[in-house]
Amino acid sequence: MKEWVKFTLLASAFAIFYFAPIDAPIVLQSISAGLSLLHEYARLHVLTCLVPAFFIAGTIAVYVKKDAVLQLLGPTTKKYIAYPIASVSGGILAVCSCTILPLFTGIYKRGAGIGPAVAFLFTGPAINITAILLTSSVLGWDFAIGRLVAAVVISVLAGLLMAALFRDHDRKNADGEFAAGLGGDVPYSNFTILAFFLLQLAILVVFGLSVDPALKAVIIIAMIVAVLGIVLFKFQKEHNLEWLRETWDLTKKILPYLFVGVFVAGIIEAVIPQDVVTALVGQNTILSNAIASTFGAFMYFATLTEVPIIQKLMSLGMGRGPALTLFLTGNALSLPSMIVLFKVMGKRQAPAYILTIMVLSIIAGWLFGELL
Amino acid sequence: MTIKVLGPGCMNCRTLEQRTRDALTQLDSQASVEKVTDLDGMMAYGVMRTPGLVIDERLVWQGGVPTVEKIKELITANVQASR
Repeated sequence: MKEWVKFTLLASAFAIFYFAPIDAPIVLQSISAGLSLLHEYARLHVLTCLVPAFFIAGTIAVYVKKDAVLQLLGPTTKKYIAYPIASVSGGILAVCSCTILPLFTGIYKRGAGIGPAVAFLFTGPAINITAILLTSSVLGWDFAIGRLVAAVVISVLAGLLMAALFRDHDRKNADGEFAAGLGGDVPYSNFTILAFFLLQLAILVVFGLSVDPALKAVIIIAMIVAVLGIVLFKFQKEHNLEWLRETWDLTKKILPYLFVGVFVAGIIEAVIPQDVVTALVGQNTILSNAIASTFGAFMYFATLTEVPIIQKLMSLGMGRGPALTLFLTGNALSLPSMIVLFKVMGKRQAPAYILTIMVLSIIAGWLFGELL
Repeated sequence: MTIKVLGPGCMNCRTLEQRTRDALTQLDSQASVEKVTDLDGMMAYGVMRTPGLVIDERLVWQGGVPTVEKIKELITANVQASR
């Protein structure tokens, strides 16, 4: 951060404290709404959903064999394999958001071409495992699955469309090895790793079940012991440390922003009048989905913060269709990411991609609102 | 010998840079460590999964943070190979 930026930030913070009508009811209400939503998340979602989800994401980062998946996105792969793989691999390949762009550029320029690259780019942030798990914990399984399915379907459609539009740009660059020298493989059987992964997932699922608390506690403790057993007796110290480091990195990267996002979402509920929300996005019309789609395309949501914000918009009367639309464009696009897209994809491809995503998201949200 | 750490500047890339410096200190090496943060620069080495490690213009590792021991192995192996 440059010195003058620091000065401006400090000066504006001072100006806000100096002039803000701190005693006005609306300010007090906003702060209390923000705090109460933070309280709700801390009580309901942090220990039972987010912490297990971070450990699961850490497991994926350390133990999933990624080179095999990446080979399937190489220049020689058949299209009908490359597209589906690209559309789901975001969930295991891109645990950290800063890995998405290098992977995208690699698939685009050296691998399977623009179509699969676009499919990967769109679903990468949308189907990350922590986002899906938090969505289901806060808004329910129907929303989490709707979000997942819509993202995968849209990504393949958008990829096919981009490939059709820009076929002549798709010159394969097959020289040099593709995805060679990947690290990260570990000397354990697939069974052990799968058991390790599923046990952690089961802990998270059991937390969400409504069964007798005593029984729940017994099951969860038993599963934690099993996870620890694998850690202590099966895995080497080196990999366990990596697992903890990845989990901790992810927590550091996401949790502070999520807390800020939850607070802001609470304020939104106190500040935005209910009739404005109902009028703009209350009904499941094409127009209201288009409004949600445009808002999501320009607005930047830090990882996971889209969940509390959409939750609060829905409690103000946002319809289910527009909410799903906002999930789809909110994650995939933002003003900063558009600027990067123009640089990486080019002046013609980037607008085509952005429009495709916005239109397909409108359709998906509208269908979700009508059918479910 | 020149060593380059490839990555846009996220946590993993910084961890790799730190570990590489530690490995070099332990090996008593004077090699310089450079960071490559722009996408085109990374693509030139064929890196897809960051962070990546390049020794004497050859990509020797990508897609994870190796331990200091592993980095030392990589350095020794690749220096001998280039002789």
